[in-house]
Amino acid sequence: MAESILGKLGFRRASGVDEAGWGRTLAVAVVAFIYFLPVLFIIFTAFKPQGDALLVPPTLSPTSLFGLIPDHFVFKPTLENFGSVFSRSMTPDGAPEATGFDRYFFNSIFIASASVLLALVIGTLAAFGFSRYPLKGNDTYLFIILTTRMLPAIVVIIPVILMFRVVGLSGSYLGIIMLYTAFNLAFTIWMMKSFFDELSPDVEDAARIDGSSGMRVFFKICLPQVIAGLAATFVFGLILTWNEFLFALLLSGPDTRTVPVAMNQAVSSGGRGTDWTLLAAIETLFLVPVFLVTFFLQNHLLRGVTFGTVKR
Amino acid sequence: MTAVSSTLPTPRFTTVVAHNWKLAIAVAVVVSAVSMAGLPAAVSFWVVGATAALVAAAFTVNAYRRHYFGALLVAPAIAVLFVMNIFPLLWSLGLSFFAYQANQQTIRFVGLGNYVRILTNDLAAHATWGALINTAMFVVFTVSAQMIVGFLLAILFAKQFPLRKYLLILVLTPMMLSVVASGVFFTYYYDPTFGILSYVINSISGNQFILMSNKVGAVAGIVFADAWMWSPFVMLLVLAGLVSVPKYLYEAAAIDRISSWRQFWMITFPYIRGLLMLALLFRTIEAFKLADLVILLTKGGNDTLTISYHLIRIANEQNKTSEGAAISYLMLFMVIVLTNLYLYLANRRTQGA
Amino acid sequence: MSTIELRKVTKRFGSFTAVKDVDLSVAAGEVVCLLGPSGCGKTTTLRVIAGLERVTDGEVVVAGKVMNNLPPEKRDIAMVFQFYALYPSASVAENIAFPLYHDGISGAERTARVNRVAAILHLEHVLDRLPNQISEGEKQRAAMARAIVRDPNCFLFDEPLSRLDVELRQTMRGQIKEVLQGLSKATVIVTHDQLEALTMANRIAIMKDGLIEQVGSPHEVFAKPANAFVASFIGTPQMNLLEADLKTFADGTADMTVAGISLAIRTDAAVARLQPGKVTIGVRPRAFTPTDTGDRGTISARAELIEPMGAETLIHARTAAGADIRVVVTRSQRVKVGEALNLRPDPRQTHVFDGAGKAVRS
Repeated sequence: MAESILGKLGFRRASGVDEAGWGRTLAVAVVAFIYFLPVLFIIFTAFKPQGDALLVPPTLSPTSLFGLIPDHFVFKPTLENFGSVFSRSMTPDGAPEATGFDRYFFNSIFIASASVLLALVIGTLAAFGFSRYPLKGNDTYLFIILTTRMLPAIVVIIPVILMFRVVGLSGSYLGIIMLYTAFNLAFTIWMMKSFFDELSPDVEDAARIDGSSGMRVFFKICLPQVIAGLAATFVFGLILTWNEFLFALLLSGPDTRTVPVAMNQAVSSGGRGTDWTLLAAIETLFLVPVFLVTFFLQNHLLRGVTFGTVKR
Repeated sequence: MTAVSSTLPTPRFTTVVAHNWKLAIAVAVVVSAVSMAGLPAAVSFWVVGATAALVAAAFTVNAYRRHYFGALLVAPAIAVLFVMNIFPLLWSLGLSFFAYQANQQTIRFVGLGNYVRILTNDLAAHATWGALINTAMFVVFTVSAQMIVGFLLAILFAKQFPLRKYLLILVLTPMMLSVVASGVFFTYYYDPTFGILSYVINSISGNQFILMSNKVGAVAGIVFADAWMWSPFVMLLVLAGLVSVPKYLYEAAAIDRISSWRQFWMITFPYIRGLLMLALLFRTIEAFKLADLVILLTKGGNDTLTISYHLIRIANEQNKTSEGAAISYLMLFMVIVLTNLYLYLANRRTQGA
Repeated sequence: MSTIELRKVTKRFGSFTAVKDVDLSVAAGEVVCLLGPSGCGKTTTLRVIAGLERVTDGEVVVAGKVMNNLPPEKRDIAMVFQFYALYPSASVAENIAFPLYHDGISGAERTARVNRVAAILHLEHVLDRLPNQISEGEKQRAAMARAIVRDPNCFLFDEPLSRLDVELRQTMRGQIKEVLQGLSKATVIVTHDQLEALTMANRIAIMKDGLIEQVGSPHEVFAKPANAFVASFIGTPQMNLLEADLKTFADGTADMTVAGISLAIRTDAAVARLQPGKVTIGVRPRAFTPTDTGDRGTISARAELIEPMGAETLIHARTAAGADIRVVVTRSQRVKVGEALNLRPDPRQTHVFDGAGKAVRS
């Protein structure tokens, strides 16, 4: 009895099919929806009229779903919050001013993509080196590289602030990009090395015997085989860098401020308490790029993680 | 595959050639020492930087001429890591032996004074130990919550089913949120007057419910938010392990009529063990650094101060730079011990199996 | 009784039909090989019997019971997988013991049984090792031991020898046959190697594009192929299939044009039923006799390539019209490249296939 119910839900044991049916889809959809609720609430809040944000009980849905949801839970969706992300009046009666968020969005995109890509280039080269030309004490180097990832950001940040001040890199793109690059490097090297370790050396050897140069072997033979790894590393690096807060707070200047920092200021400034709809609108906009990238590279994500760690 | 054609003779120490890196180091050390002693800090910094570049160049030329491709490939990464991570780390290691505050000019050597202070001085040590105990508690709770939830989610997604791709991305989204936004929104969900949680519990129990009013509630709130954000990460790793199990093993198990329980331990678990351990390691390290959610949700109130937040307070808010550096090194030491313990256990397990 | 019966079994994957209306019965103690080129549906047929795939249509009957909707664990079958599917984290002994847990057999009895099959398959010395610490041949034997350790309804083998090297394959072939003879179970072996099928099977089912083309004893499928496909698939070197134009048939002799050469040859009486027109003549390479002089019973061709094969020599010859003919002669008959040959096909070993490729036989 229980088995047949579970079977209908798609939980039956493999009887040849490793494909569960729509029953499983339904069950997972319920779980995924519950898991997604807090995010959904933030997204909905972004569409709420400003006055609605602090209603008790909170409004929950932009539509009554044909009368399914009682009217007092329904709000009238508006796009004005997204407008005020970029321009709004700063004083109660003032004229709308530009908030500079267009710039902050550009900064976030530029800094995150530049540093993740840079880390990917440098890190992949290094990973290839560690994998194919092991140095004396290879493991020690790798462990030291891993430890750079273990520390709270604040440990490095004091000397880095002092250093940037001396060199004049404070508040510059170059400084923060270099710092993020360094922080993505450890992860990139570890991940990509496990990929290169997994590749069969036969093809490479054959290419070498055929007279291909090291460069050519790397670009034409090794790189195409680790695309999944590159994609997975890119996504992880992007998610972490995109949302990084502490470094950005302490090291970015007015021109290089990233969205998380600006978001923090926007919601906590003015002493009027948190502006929920504005915060939600910023976060919703801010979520879109990284969501899209993850979605499109999703297929690589699983393959990327599997490599190296499993089939020893 | 290593260097085959290293016929290049090692130069005499005094010979000036581009690949004589020993000479470059000697010159660099002397020049740096002189400039640091005799020139203002802003100038000597650049001089030291230039000599470092000289040494790096000598190494590179040496590696190139000797066909040390490995060294050449690794060099850019090492350079970036050195400038941005290792050098600052050494700097703060140095600072931890001095009495120095970022907002003052004075600097004084105190040896192990800072360490002794944070570990034994009544007030400072009390805060340190308290924060450490809290951190350990958070590590245990958040990591186990993430492992369990992540594991269950992964099992749910392990089979192929219609729309799987779209449902998976929904579950991954919490990980993509900025911690600022999700943290602030969790204060909203937990808010005693207009928060959803209190609203639901109030309407059931009839009493005013304030989650953050005591330590248990505050810890639960932080653990819940952190587990919600990072369980997808564990899920991704476990899922990767689950989908890598060859299908024919499950088929053989069905033919051999092996029970689901034994099937899990004999087939599934060996394949995900490595990734589970990796998830455990990554999440433990991250949980050890937990600060942002605490800042946003409780500001350390109700005895929820973590070591990382304590460090930020000491170093950034109270400007006790070198004391902060000492705490950092205490943390680093613990993380390294923890990591090695993990690696030891993981390796012993693989050999034992 | 340990029997397998497939009745009009069809398996579709989406719009692709992998197995079409397959009828097959395997008696107790009988070994049937499913033989065919890759993608012919033989493995799918095996998986349908095992319950790893569900049938779309038809009935799967194992041990007298219809098992269409039963999962593999309820069918009580043993199977050896192509990649052996040994559980990587369990020792060889544990691997062999796994199927026994289900029946609640005591620990001592389990050990005794494992030791018994280990002795049969010469695995005693590797029982404590993990699957990745033993050789391919030992893996194969361990997988087999796991299958025979219990008393199932039937045995299924999926390409059991495909991962072994040539030498090991020969010894394992004999071993499998020997073990199976002692068990008297219905057994199905999937293979793409005809030598494997011919040596191990009591009967062979040759499949192509999801259809069974012919079922018969190794002798039957070789001597009386049901159609041109079976004729060309069984036997090495391949049978010569020559397009011919049938003119007349009288007194047991067919008059036809083969590759531009007119040929009179005695054939099966059933050829009388055919209308004059296109047919295919099948002659095995060993069924030709080179003669000194050509007549109406020979095909003239020129030797193009000589391949000595030890005791015999394979000659690739070509007729004036460009048709290729493979001929095998004994080592003593010396033939030189470029030499003109008059090849006389043995009438008793000459097959005639009609326009649709079906053998014409009475």
